[in-house]
Amino acid sequence: MAVRLETDVLVIGGGIAGAFAAYRAREAGARVLLVDRSYFGRSGCSALASGVYPAYMPGDDKDAWMRAFGGPLVNQPLVARSLPVMHEHVLLMDRWGVNWVKEGRKIVRMGAPGRSFANGVWMAEGGPQMMMAVRSGVVGSGVEVLNRVALTELLTSDGRLPTAGRVVGAAGFHTRTGEVHEIVAKATVVCTGPYKFPYPWPGSTLGYMPVDLSGDGIAMMMRAGAELSRLELGGINLNPDNALSAPGLESLMPSGAKWVDQDGRRFLEDYDPKRMEMTQRALLYFAIAHQKELGRVPSMDLREVSPERMQLIRRVIPIVVNNQEAMVGDLTETPVPYTYQVAGTSGIFGAGARVTERGETTVPGLYAAGTCTDMTYLPGGNLPFCSVTGDWTGRAVGAAVGSVEPPQPPAEQVERVTGQVLEPLQRRDGVAFEPVHRRLGELLMEKVGLVLHADRLDAALDELRDIREHEVPRLTAGNPHELAKVWGLTQYMQVLEATLRAYRYRTESRVAFIREDYPIIDNVNWVKMVVVKQENGALRLWDEPLPESWHDPHPVRPTQNLHLVFRNQEAPHAAR
Amino acid sequence: MPRVEVNEQACTGCGVCVDTCPTDVLRLDPQEKAFPAYPTDCQGCFVCQWDCAYGAIRVLVNG
Repeated sequence: MAVRLETDVLVIGGGIAGAFAAYRAREAGARVLLVDRSYFGRSGCSALASGVYPAYMPGDDKDAWMRAFGGPLVNQPLVARSLPVMHEHVLLMDRWGVNWVKEGRKIVRMGAPGRSFANGVWMAEGGPQMMMAVRSGVVGSGVEVLNRVALTELLTSDGRLPTAGRVVGAAGFHTRTGEVHEIVAKATVVCTGPYKFPYPWPGSTLGYMPVDLSGDGIAMMMRAGAELSRLELGGINLNPDNALSAPGLESLMPSGAKWVDQDGRRFLEDYDPKRMEMTQRALLYFAIAHQKELGRVPSMDLREVSPERMQLIRRVIPIVVNNQEAMVGDLTETPVPYTYQVAGTSGIFGAGARVTERGETTVPGLYAAGTCTDMTYLPGGNLPFCSVTGDWTGRAVGAAVGSVEPPQPPAEQVERVTGQVLEPLQRRDGVAFEPVHRRLGELLMEKVGLVLHADRLDAALDELRDIREHEVPRLTAGNPHELAKVWGLTQYMQVLEATLRAYRYRTESRVAFIREDYPIIDNVNWVKMVVVKQENGALRLWDEPLPESWHDPHPVRPTQNLHLVFRNQEAPHAAR
Repeated sequence: MPRVEVNEQACTGCGVCVDTCPTDVLRLDPQEKAFPAYPTDCQGCFVCQWDCAYGAIRVLVNG
C-alpha cells in the first residue's frame, strides 16, 4: 500500500534553499512538508559548505559587491535586491544557533568585497553545525519533515507529463523500506541543488562530495514541461585529487592560498598575470582544470597561511582539511593536488529551471529555488543566493496557496508512476548499476572533457542515447538503497543530455565554458540565455536575449575577443 | 576510498549515525551495533564521526 500524504506546500530537498523556502512558507501560514532523500540538515551541499557565508552588511560599498557578483549574464538589479536579505539571514541564523565566528558578541567577516572571493561570515564549526542549527529553526517553526524519501516524479492535475495543467505534488519511495509515497500538494517547491556525475567511481577523478547530487529535481521539472536555462554555464567542479572532498576554496583563497604546479611555478601567470589568485572565479577554476588536462599537477599551496588562520580553517572546513591531510600530511608543508569534473553544476554556478524572482517556473503550481534554478549564478555567492531565493520563493508560495483548492491527481497517473518507481527491484535479468555507471563516467572523460568540440559532443550524445535506450530500461536494483542509486543515475542521464545539447548550442567560449571550435568570447551575439524544454518526447532548444534592465548600472560592451586560453597557449587541448 | 570503522565496545546502538549518514551507509545489526551496510557508498564526510556522542566511529580517508 502506498503512503498518501497531503500538504499545502511540498518542499523537495533540505539544503539551505529548501530550509528557507519551507520556513517562509510556514511563516505565511501554510502547512509545509519538507522531503529529503537523505536527512534534512545532513544532506546535499549546504552541510558540506566551505565554511563561509558571503554576506553583505549595511554600510558596505554596494558597487564593490556588484563587481564581485557581476558579469554580462547577470541580472544586476536582482543582485542588488538580494544583498540586504543576506544580512537579514545572517542575523536570523544567529538566532537559530548557527555558530558564526565572533569577536565578543560581534559577528566578524573576513575576505574582501569586490574580489573573486567575497567578504564572508565564517562558520566556527563548519557547514554541519550551520545546517543542524538551521534545521532546528525550521522544524521549530512547525515545518514537517520526511527523511529518506526519494521523489522520482511530479504529479499533475491532468495526469500528463509534460502537463497542460498544474503540478499537484510528487511520488517516490522510501530508500530503506521501499514503501511508495504519494504526496499531494497545492504547490511544489524543488530545491534539489546542483547536479553532476553521481556516486564515486573508484580510481577515477569523478564523483566528488556530496556524491549523490544527481539532478533529480531538474529532471522531474523538465519532464513536467518546465523550461531550463544556463545548463551550458554550469562550470567546472574542483576537488582535491584522490579524495571525494569539496574544494574548500571559499575559506582557503582569502586566507592566502597560492596555486602552483609540480615545479612550484605559479601557473596563474599564464592565465591572468595581473590578478593571479584574485582572478575571476570561473577563470581560476578553468585554469586549474586546464593544467590538469595538460598533464601538470595543479596544487594548492598553503605554506604562507598564518598559523592562526590555519587553526581557524581546521575548524570551519574540517571535512576538507581531514581529507587533504589524509592525502599529503601537514598542509602547511606540502601543496595539495587538485583535479576537476565536467558536465554538471557546482555550488558556485547554478543551472536548471527558469524561474522568476518569486521562484515560479514556467509550469503552474511548480516553484524552484537555489542551485537547481537558473538564478543562482553569482560567482562567489552561492550559499547566500540559495538562502535568498529560498526566502523569496517561500514567501510567494505561502501567499499563493491560500487561494488554491485542494488538488487531486488522476488515479491512473498515480498508479502508473508508483508502479514504475519500483520496476528495477522486480527485474530479474537485467543490467547492474556498476557497469552502466562506469560506462557513463568513461563517456564524460573521453568524449566530453574540458575543452569542448561539436564532433566530440555529438559522439557523446550518440553514446548517451544508446545507454538510455538499451541499458537504462534494464537496470536492476537488489534493495531500496540500490534503487535510490539507480534512480539517481537515470535522472542524471536525462539532465546530462540536456546539458550536452546546451553545450552544443552555445557557439562561443566564455570563462570556464570553452569551445575549441568557437574560441571567441562573443558579447555581440551571445549575451543570451539558452533555453531547453522537453516537448513531444524530444528536447527543443532556443535562445533569448537578456533584458536590458539586467545590465543597469553596468552595460555590456559589445566586444569579441579570443578566449584567454587560446591566446597564450599554442595548443590548449594538446593533452587530448 | 574512504571507509567507516565502528568500535563495537563503544557503540551504544543509539542509532544517531544511522539516522544522519548523508549517503545512508550505516545500519544497526541484530546486536544493536552500528555497521557499514553499504561501505562503498561512504563519501568520507565525517558526519557520523562527529554525530557519535560516544566516540565509537572513525572515518578513514587514506587516498
